[in-house]
Amino acid sequence: MKQFAVLQLSGCAGCEVSLLNAEEWIQRYRLAYMPLVVTTYDVPEVDVLLVSGSVRNEEDIYNLRRAVDRARKTVAVGTCAMSGGVAHLGDREEIRGLFFSHPERPHVPDLLPRTRPVDEVVSVDLYLPGCPPTPELFMAALDPDPGFKPAASVCVECGREKLRDMRPKKLLGFTQGEVQPGICLINQGFLCVGTSTRGGCRALCTRPGHPCVGCRGPSNAFIEKDSRVWMTSIERVITSMTDIPVAVVEAELRSPQLSLFLFQFSDYDGRRRAPRPREKLL
Amino acid sequence: MAVITFPLSRIEGHARVVIDLHDGRVVSAHFQATEMRGFQHLLRGVPAEQMPVIAPRICGVCSTAHHVAAVKALEDAYGVTPPPLALRIRELLMLGQLIQNQATSLFFFTMPDRLGSPGLLQCAAEDLGSSEERQAIALRALQVRKAGTDLITAAGGQFIHPVKAVVGGVSSGVEVGAAAPVREQLAAALPLACELFDEYWRLTERLRDRTGTWGDDTPTRYIAAVGERRPNFCGDVLRVTGTDGAVCATFPARELREHLAYEDTDYSYAGRTSYLGDIVRANSLARINMAREMCTERADRYLDRFRHAFGGPAHAILLFDLARGIELVYGIERALELLSMPLLGEDTAVAHTPKDGEGFGLVEAPRGPLVHRYRIEGGRIADVELIIPTVHNVGAIERALRVAAERYITADAVNLELERAVGRVVRAFDPCIACATH
Repeated sequence: MKQFAVLQLSGCAGCEVSLLNAEEWIQRYRLAYMPLVVTTYDVPEVDVLLVSGSVRNEEDIYNLRRAVDRARKTVAVGTCAMSGGVAHLGDREEIRGLFFSHPERPHVPDLLPRTRPVDEVVSVDLYLPGCPPTPELFMAALDPDPGFKPAASVCVECGREKLRDMRPKKLLGFTQGEVQPGICLINQGFLCVGTSTRGGCRALCTRPGHPCVGCRGPSNAFIEKDSRVWMTSIERVITSMTDIPVAVVEAELRSPQLSLFLFQFSDYDGRRRAPRPREKLL
Repeated sequence: MAVITFPLSRIEGHARVVIDLHDGRVVSAHFQATEMRGFQHLLRGVPAEQMPVIAPRICGVCSTAHHVAAVKALEDAYGVTPPPLALRIRELLMLGQLIQNQATSLFFFTMPDRLGSPGLLQCAAEDLGSSEERQAIALRALQVRKAGTDLITAAGGQFIHPVKAVVGGVSSGVEVGAAAPVREQLAAALPLACELFDEYWRLTERLRDRTGTWGDDTPTRYIAAVGERRPNFCGDVLRVTGTDGAVCATFPARELREHLAYEDTDYSYAGRTSYLGDIVRANSLARINMAREMCTERADRYLDRFRHAFGGPAHAILLFDLARGIELVYGIERALELLSMPLLGEDTAVAHTPKDGEGFGLVEAPRGPLVHRYRIEGGRIADVELIIPTVHNVGAIERALRVAAERYITADAVNLELERAVGRVVRAFDPCIACATH
């Protein structure tokens, strides 16, 4: 029986909770380490190491390096592990200083000056995108199936109808109450980025009426390109379907809720990172 | 001077317990949260309307509670009242959260302590004999838990970081085709949950017989935001009881800081809360102590049994775990009631106009009262305060740790039962470190 371990760095445990919903592994894999549900003190030798959360403090670096040494394959799970995720919002210039306002805490691990993705510290064999990744993706990571293909984009999975003659002039916010069923959210004036976001989530947000925020990152068409190309494509989609000025769209794409996901590969912390190769992404 | 450090597992997040000794006497027992991401900082400057999507990322275990608290804080600032259908759907969201959390805490976090095993989901080669029994429990427990997560998906879009609560209401109703399978799952989960809880209750009594204690039972104050008549996890009023169980304060979230004092500590990324200088406890036992009745059939039978066995208010910490079981049963029964009502066809939201100001959003999360306070300037978040249930409990956790340490440490020796006792104490409070440090 193959063994796997789950190492949680600084994160929210949402990825672990999603893994618990992918219960098919229980009869087929031996869970060797996952402090959330098992009392074990150290990562043993394992076939697969799932790493969630971002590298935020000194203990994260130590735990990550130790665990990776004992794993045959390392998988970065979720947006935080892949790119730093929501913690990156703390790396904005105007925010960083606030972290120094705390009194000294000598007994707990020091925070690092900024958030780091897992692959800045160790090499990663597979990326599992999403906030969190769906249970199906966990199974695909544990049990590689050469036939596994996530849908091209969230848009393809969503099924809302695009209308030619419904062209809003104004961008609506994200929480503007009633949403019309069955009609594309862009036609209704919402800034939905599902047209170019990697599918595989079954469009869980857009189908009940919430615009896609891009948590799974870019679809394969954009994954190996600079995030600028991805952004431009989203702007083009919105301006071709609506009469909303492109400058308004661009400004809104840079606001935190979207940018935290849209810039997950070449980050908005100001650092350019090499794009991840598409064959390493599920 | 000696220091004993216990790493912790089967809780959410990274924490440890550090006990300082001098000549065999316990000097201090500290609960240290060892991670922080800094949400009170990083949320600054975020457009207020984006909080219901960003704030749930504080915690993947409690994301539903943060989602609803964020929406309620904005509604408080804007002066919006959602329509009845939206309130029903939000109650379903909070019940889904309650079911999944109490099932996880009971069966995956604390049941192993009663079985003497490291976890339900680990199957090590060397203990295959007992692993069949554990797996039988695990598979049923996962089914109960999943009924809760599927309820959140139906009511909230997705079960971790849900999206359907919006300012003014919810973005859509629940389609009949989505409600029916969840109702079936919950109906199937109810007898399983009762069966597992009965087993859990028996094992807890056996644990008590073995150790001779229910843990720290000092009469204590409690805080909760559940309603006065029946449990309500989306309520607007907090209540604090005295050590005799009588309500001594009732106040809205807006006045919370007039009643509860917060202090930072230098040994943990989580601070702690006190009420008039006293330790206060939140979470399941607080709610069960305040409940007159659960208003559902099976949960009320368990409540009667609990009251008969332990009286009211009950103070021993292992009773937090049993109280969680009563709430698990209640959550399933109440969700079944709501799912038999229409969840479509009425207004799902009212129109609103965003404005600047201050808003407080209160929910009763599984771990206790959760408040988001936002100050909004120019449509953006200028200041955030996240008042977290686990933080209310830190003082109570540390006192209970001290009680356990004094029981198992003498001038000559440290009884190895202490390590297990430390785990049981902490897990009774089901702390969430991602939330507590945020």
